[in-house]
Amino acid sequence: MNAKANKNQVTSIEPAYYQAITEAIRKEAVQILKDETVVGVVGYLPGRRKGTASPALVTTVEEAEKLIFSPACVNNLSVYLTKAKKGVLKQGKVGIVAKGCDMRALAGLMTESQLQREDLFIIGVVCPGVYGFGVERTGTVTEANIARKCRECTVHMPEGADVAAGTHAELADLTPEEAEEMARIEAMPQAERWAFWKEHFSRCIRCMACRQVCPFCYCEQCLCDKNRPQAVESSPRPAGNMAWHLVRAMHLAGRCGGCAECERVCPMDIPLNLLNRRMAQELKELYDFEAGLTPVEKGPLNEYKENDDQSFIK
Amino acid sequence: MHAEHIKHDFEPKIVAFVCTWCTYAGADLAGTSRMQYPSNVRVLKFPCTGRIDPVFILRAFQKGADGVLVSGCHPGDCHYMAGNFHARRRFAAFRALLNFVGVDLNRLQFSWVSAAEGGKWVDVVTELTERVRTMGPMPEFKELEHEEQWSTFAGTSVDKSTVLNSPELKEAYDSIG
Repeated sequence: MNAKANKNQVTSIEPAYYQAITEAIRKEAVQILKDETVVGVVGYLPGRRKGTASPALVTTVEEAEKLIFSPACVNNLSVYLTKAKKGVLKQGKVGIVAKGCDMRALAGLMTESQLQREDLFIIGVVCPGVYGFGVERTGTVTEANIARKCRECTVHMPEGADVAAGTHAELADLTPEEAEEMARIEAMPQAERWAFWKEHFSRCIRCMACRQVCPFCYCEQCLCDKNRPQAVESSPRPAGNMAWHLVRAMHLAGRCGGCAECERVCPMDIPLNLLNRRMAQELKELYDFEAGLTPVEKGPLNEYKENDDQSFIK
Repeated sequence: MHAEHIKHDFEPKIVAFVCTWCTYAGADLAGTSRMQYPSNVRVLKFPCTGRIDPVFILRAFQKGADGVLVSGCHPGDCHYMAGNFHARRRFAAFRALLNFVGVDLNRLQFSWVSAAEGGKWVDVVTELTERVRTMGPMPEFKELEHEEQWSTFAGTSVDKSTVLNSPELKEAYDSIG
């Protein structure tokens, strides 16, 4: 799709736009619950405080009429179909509200056979962006309060959803902060890069929120929890922190859809998405693979070609 | 043929993760052929390069290795058909990650050494050892291991050397290594 040509050049999204999406989601959710296509819909309900939203699984029509979509809908809901909520899918088909970045996670989970497409009814949202953290929640997204990941979003249009709510809308002229930051780190001398990450990782308190919120960290037994033998030290000391974050980045290489939830939930504000982005970029360069655009047979690290680059091997 | 015993002030620790089927046999061949190569290398035998997890490499560095060698069968010779192909992709990605966080990739060497290539094994090990020797010890991961403080905050005036980080601790740690 040539987004450049028909982009609405706007500097802030009308609240009415979110209202329209909300209406569309409600209509769709009520419809599929009524005709019993699905047993429940994973979506967003208004949070307790003004200007917030919280994820919810709604199973009745009355609840479904309360569903919303607003810039506060930051969560990636695909995590609700794995891990602790695996039981939901056993009940039957489930509806899920998904932004473009969440769709990538869903596609990735389908790639890895964690989900079946026929078990899902995906209500795609044409999302103009969501709030960043620690910003003023003015009811709409602007240049000032949009999340960092949304500045470089390439998936405003959810591809492959059952229905799409909303029309095409995105903010104009956003500076790609993250790409700039990445370029800045790349350009640093090696010792400085180490110091940069060391400083960040030494703040880590190993709360494991990044693991908990990530749709791809669904291992029943995490390597980093094991202690016989202990591969990664579990106490929040610099040594174990460094190892944990590198292992995490490595395990998400070629899978991460870039929803940046890890970075959002990190209480110590470690720029985790930079690592993920770096790996994604590397795999794109090496194997021309982009995670999560469509479900594929195998990820880049699960397959190989005879003629892969081996210039670094003697 | 006598090995030359040159005294160096720094002897690097090299950890080699090798595959049973090729490189280990290659190293064995080097040994049985009486070839001389630096004794700095500690060989760890794995079933296949595909079994070698990046975690092992990290751990080797954390436990005080100055250089790491990962070596396996040539592409197409894998005992398990595709182990080394998968490993090749994985290590390509892992190198990029290590580079991104600021680890010197010269301390990490990958190679394909077959069971018949005793000479190549000698060359690879010698070259890596000499390279790491000129680079000196690898302080980064050791420092992490030494640091006992729970968190450091950028911009605060916490003197990192005083927090639970006494010379005695350092000495105790070094004596273990």
